[in-house]
This record gives sequence, structure tokens and C-alpha cells, in this order.
Amino acid sequence: MTRTEHQEQIERWANYVRENPDKWKKELKPFIDAQIIMARRAYAKLAETEEGRKKIVLLKNH
Amino acid sequence: MAKREVSDKTILDEFVEDFVKIVEKHCKYIIVSGFVAIAHGRSRGTEDIDMILEKISKEQFVKLHNDLIKHKFECMQSKDPELIYTSYLMNHTSVRYTRKGEFLPEMEIKLAKDSIDEYQLATRIKLPFTGLDVYFSTIEMNIAFKEEYLKSDKDIEDAKHLRIIYKDNLNEAEIEKIKKDIRRIRIKDDANRTSRAN
Repeated sequence: MTRTEHQEQIERWANYVRENPDKWKKELKPFIDAQIIMARRAYAKLAETEEGRKKIVLLKNH
Repeated sequence: MAKREVSDKTILDEFVEDFVKIVEKHCKYIIVSGFVAIAHGRSRGTEDIDMILEKISKEQFVKLHNDLIKHKFECMQSKDPELIYTSYLMNHTSVRYTRKGEFLPEMEIKLAKDSIDEYQLATRIKLPFTGLDVYFSTIEMNIAFKEEYLKSDKDIEDAKHLRIIYKDNLNEAEIEKIKKDIRRIRIKDDANRTSRAN
């Protein structure tokens, strides 16, 4: 995706949100939640490894 | 049989509302920056939510911290509230809280540090479009900070998103006034800190 296409996509979605105040949240929820669930899973895996917790602290402080 | 309501609230929404329920018993707060855009439908992820607290005393902070611990949150920097207050918050360094045993999301909190933060707290607002019962800094404030101070691609895109959502309802004079204050107070202060550090 080019920069222009990316900017156009941001505008399209923002206009959709503005025009559909009762719909956008239901559509966005799986996307927002999935990122948290996947990141939690990755951190939990990392925490099980040697030095994993130290690495997480480094990641968080970056 | 009654139809079961399924909440549209995201993990981030629930985390913010649970955290705010405790904070609001102790002091005035605002949610600022990225989560303001996300709560208005911006389709991007984040692991942390930024919160500014009014400038409270060490004693008030200790009570707030203990209440957060009681409700199963924990601070990533330290378990000692006095140390968190004196070594971090008083030095304008933020600290992060998560639910106990979870690495994210995080609430990144800091104390109000200048007249701009005090103004943000004084003009805080609930934003019905988000469906959340929490106080945010104003949309004008968030746009001004993102366009004038933070300025990363992500911030500029957040500001663009908010400008579209609130098209025809933005106070452009207020945005310009805040930008002027940011240049006069915040950017000047940052430059002084950098020159002192060098």
C-alpha cells in the first residue's frame, strides 16, 4: 500500500465511523482485542523462557 | 427468554473503565493521546493508555496505590508507593500499572507537570461518541498535542481521524491557542531540560 493509499484508507474508515456510530465498535472490537490477546500470548511464552522476564522488562522500557 | 446482550466493549475499554473507577475516588484524572483516537474508532493497536493525574500529595498517592493493589492491579516499576512517588512521579517520569499477573494492557500514569496539564484537567470532558464513562482531555487538546508536539506519523494520523469524526464541531481557535501554549511552555521547557542535561 502506498502512502497515499494508506492516507485514503484512514479517511475512508474515519468517515465510516462518523457516519455509523452504532456499528463501528462491533466491527472494530475483534481487531483491537486480537492484538491484545496475541501480544499477551507472546509475552506469556517469552516469560516461560530463560531470561524471558528480563527481556519483557527491556521491551516494555524501550 | 430475554436476548443476551453482548458487550461491544474491547479489552482496552474494560481495562480503562475498571482502572478509572478506582482512580476517581482519589483524584481528578484525564485519559489522553492514543487511546482517545482508538476510543473514537481509529483502527490501530496499543498496549498502553496514557493518564494524567492532578498533582496529588505523597499521602494521597499512597492511598490511591493501595486501593489499586486491593483491586488486583500492580505497578511494574515498584511495589513501594513512596518510592514510586518520589523517584518517578515527582521527577515527571511515568509509571505503569497492569492487572496483576498480566503484561498488558498498561495504564501509564504521570502527574500534571505544568499549566498546560492543569488546563487539560480543568477542561476535561466525557465524550459520548466513545460510549465510555471516563474523562478525556478535549478533542482540541488532543489534536493540538498530536499535530504540534508529538508529530509522529501515528500521531498525525490519529489527529486526522479525530478531525474527521468531529468535522464541523471543532474549535480551531482553541486548537491554535493550545498550540501556541505548547510552543511557549512545553517545547521551551523541553529545550531547557536538554541544554541542562548537556
